[in-house]
Amino acid sequence: MSANLAIANLRKVFATGKPAVDDVSFTVEAGEIVVLLGPSGCGKTTTLRCVAGLEHPTDGTIHIGDTLVSAPARGLLVPPRARNVGMVFQSYAVWPHMTVRQNVAYPLKGRGLTSDEAARKVDGALDLVDLAQYADRPVVQLSGGQMQRVALARSMVYEPRLLLLDEPLSNLDAQLRLRLRDDLRRIIKAAGLTALYVTHDQLEAVVLGDRIGVMQNGKLLQMATPEQVYNRPADLFVASFTGASNFMAGKVKARDGEWGTVELAGGHTITAWFATGLAAGDAVTIAIRPENIRLEAAEAQNRYTVDVVSQRFQGVQTAYELQLGSTTIEALATGTTMRHPAGSSVTINIPPEICWAYPAA
Amino acid sequence: MESKATAGNSVRHGRLAAWAWSALLLAILAFLVIYPVMMLLLGTLTDSNPVTDGYAAMHLSLGNFFTVLTNPNVHEILGNSLLACAGGTVFAVLIGLFFAWIVVRTNTPWKGLIAATGMLPLFVPPLVAGVAWSILGSPKTGLINTFLAKAGIDWRINLYSMPGIIFVFGMYYAPYVYMFTASALRNMDPSLEEAAEISGAGPVRTLFTVTFPLILPAIISGMLLSFVVMLGIYGIPAVLGAPANISVLTTYIFALTSWAPPRYSTAAAVAMILMVVTGILVYLQQKVISGRSFTTVAGKAFRPRALNLGPWRFLTLGLAIVYLIIVVVLPTLALLVAAFRKFLFIRDIPSLFDAKQYSLLHFDRLFSNPATLTSIINTMKVGVITAMIGGVLAFAIGYTTVRSNAPGRRVIDMIATVPVAIPGLVIGVAYLWAWIGLPGGFYGTIWILALAFVARFLPDTVKALSTSLMQIHRELEEAAWICGRGTLSTIATIMLPLARPGVIAAMTLLFVLAIRELGSSLFLYSSSTMVMAVQLLGYYEGGNVSVTAAFSLVQMVILGVLIGITNRLSRGATGGVGRAG
Repeated sequence: MSANLAIANLRKVFATGKPAVDDVSFTVEAGEIVVLLGPSGCGKTTTLRCVAGLEHPTDGTIHIGDTLVSAPARGLLVPPRARNVGMVFQSYAVWPHMTVRQNVAYPLKGRGLTSDEAARKVDGALDLVDLAQYADRPVVQLSGGQMQRVALARSMVYEPRLLLLDEPLSNLDAQLRLRLRDDLRRIIKAAGLTALYVTHDQLEAVVLGDRIGVMQNGKLLQMATPEQVYNRPADLFVASFTGASNFMAGKVKARDGEWGTVELAGGHTITAWFATGLAAGDAVTIAIRPENIRLEAAEAQNRYTVDVVSQRFQGVQTAYELQLGSTTIEALATGTTMRHPAGSSVTINIPPEICWAYPAA
Repeated sequence: MESKATAGNSVRHGRLAAWAWSALLLAILAFLVIYPVMMLLLGTLTDSNPVTDGYAAMHLSLGNFFTVLTNPNVHEILGNSLLACAGGTVFAVLIGLFFAWIVVRTNTPWKGLIAATGMLPLFVPPLVAGVAWSILGSPKTGLINTFLAKAGIDWRINLYSMPGIIFVFGMYYAPYVYMFTASALRNMDPSLEEAAEISGAGPVRTLFTVTFPLILPAIISGMLLSFVVMLGIYGIPAVLGAPANISVLTTYIFALTSWAPPRYSTAAAVAMILMVVTGILVYLQQKVISGRSFTTVAGKAFRPRALNLGPWRFLTLGLAIVYLIIVVVLPTLALLVAAFRKFLFIRDIPSLFDAKQYSLLHFDRLFSNPATLTSIINTMKVGVITAMIGGVLAFAIGYTTVRSNAPGRRVIDMIATVPVAIPGLVIGVAYLWAWIGLPGGFYGTIWILALAFVARFLPDTVKALSTSLMQIHRELEEAAWICGRGTLSTIATIMLPLARPGVIAAMTLLFVLAIRELGSSLFLYSSSTMVMAVQLLGYYEGGNVSVTAAFSLVQMVILGVLIGITNRLSRGATGGVGRAG
């Protein structure tokens, strides 16, 4: 029942301005959860709505399973109701004039089920999201998290070929978001559904997705496992969007396959993982996540003694501003004690595998 | 492959259905709005009579229109109209602005009550207001003059005059200015005024150099709107102007159609003048509203500063009470006295309180005339038909323009807004021209009245419904599509249930507007389709003041009950009720 999703060369241009989705291609395997991650306005929601059929693409093709559902070049556009997909909306979109059960039963009408079968499916879906005891409440009496689960049950009750989720957790408070984040992946996997999930929250993406697609300005920059996205960001934008906040300018001294050395503006030399397209003499930007910098480490490579500019206590971690050559970089040390007062010296180590070089922006 | 072909076809069918739907709506709007306006235009360009000559015998020429345009009578009447409305508007601005300031920006006691009762004049049909003030202020028998004489004061008021019309106009249409300026004052950032005071300006200087200039767009907008409404009013100038031989555009148009033989083409030409003037003013008002009126209004809510007036607050309260006495208490008392007193002649003050002088005599006479009950029943029928047709049509138009991407929805929205600039009387004349000469007997039925009302109030109904449709989150509808429902099924199971309060409120509003409408009814009723408002005019012109007052009270009670229901169903519908004028 779960189908794969194949998007090829998808483009969506609105009446004004540049393309909202620009030549995006990717596939989602049956049973896989793919998360589209990016800042607001990057085209991730538009991509999702094109898959749902709520938005009409300008160009490209979308296959759900073996069925071609969208091919504007051939004048083909299957309306949302005929695509057999489920969708969870950002605003929940549970119908306030119905009870929980009525909401969940709504999509089953007109699918040739007997009322017994329908009732069984509704009960099953409500059990899955743990709302069975609320079945006959009006939805307006539920909390935000419960409404979200009604929306989820409603989108899964008819066993759609594909589940689409549009920032389903963004309207919930932080605590609830954490809990539902874990629940969501469990429920989707238990139902064996193929899912396309849109969010701007990188933690959500990491926890939920089998793979993450990072988007910016309508383009899909990288589509990879969370581990890859975090440790081998395809470009400077992906690196910074997923949390690298230290940037140092430099010049390539030498390159050896994936690795190379860079002379930083302040005179230090650093060994780094090289993105494609860099050669000796090129201007580069080095990106480092603050939590990857180790204070007082003993490795041989990329080891520097630097001055502490400031320290800021942040509870379970301390953020340090460090002067490395001419650049101030930020480092995080976990633990609840502050150990390096401003003005002191500290030895730091930046392992080359988490030190990424990109063409200078 | 099979499924692909089906899918492709369903898209094409959807497109086709959308085109067919837009074409249907456009056809209905053309029938309701464009066709009558075109016929009115034809009417202005001919000198033939559509009843006797039929439409085929028209010889069109701009000359006919120029003959009317150059007629000195028309000049004088246009001048009268502009003078009455300009005077009334100035008066309305003074009162409306003053009360807006009192209610929003001062610590005058009971200002909530002042704000609420100050809106009451909007609900009084103009003819009823005219009747009440003729009872109070006619030069010979007016109650006020009777009192002045008894009190030995050698001064009389005469409302059968241009100042009388201006006075009643200003009093009754001040709430329009109030509505616009009060909300502008409420939304103004108080720090702008605080900055003026820090710079050394006193409260009065701040008011005139900062506050009022900042809300000038709202003032102008309210001014233009009240001018437009006054321009289209028939009842007040008919009652107060006729005895003094003062004609305005509206009363002149009606007079032209009641001469023998009726001068339909001249009426059409004068109606065209009225429509053009109204159109220009409405256009200006829309420009002012869309212009800089909201630049001082930020998104966040401010708590307006209340100026401490000290002991002066009792003066402002006093003025408010005087206003309420003049527009609410006195006219109501006048109608009560006239309706319940056996003889309107008042010998002395004690006799005013003599119970023996009062009876239900006039109500008996009112209802012993079968025409009274017939007119009430007819009115209710027209109201229900108007509410049904208008409600369904407005929902269709609102949904199409707000929620669909059907082709031509901009044009549909535009045509549905056109009647804003057409006074009721002009709609009446246009419908007369459109239907009177057609065979089939449609003219003279209740349906022609209902259709004219549907067209006349279409902008109000569409706006009310669009607002409530816009409040329904788009995703609620999209969720139903995703769940496998088509457009119609989604409307039936999701949109209609969610929009129901708005739909019911819009239909009730339409019902209220329809049953108090006089202007367009004047040209469209027949002896068998007489409605309340026209019947009231008949009683007034028949000369029986007491029966007229009794019928006025009956209508006020019916309206009061219905408006109470409307307000319960939806808040903020007052603007719509008001425009009916």
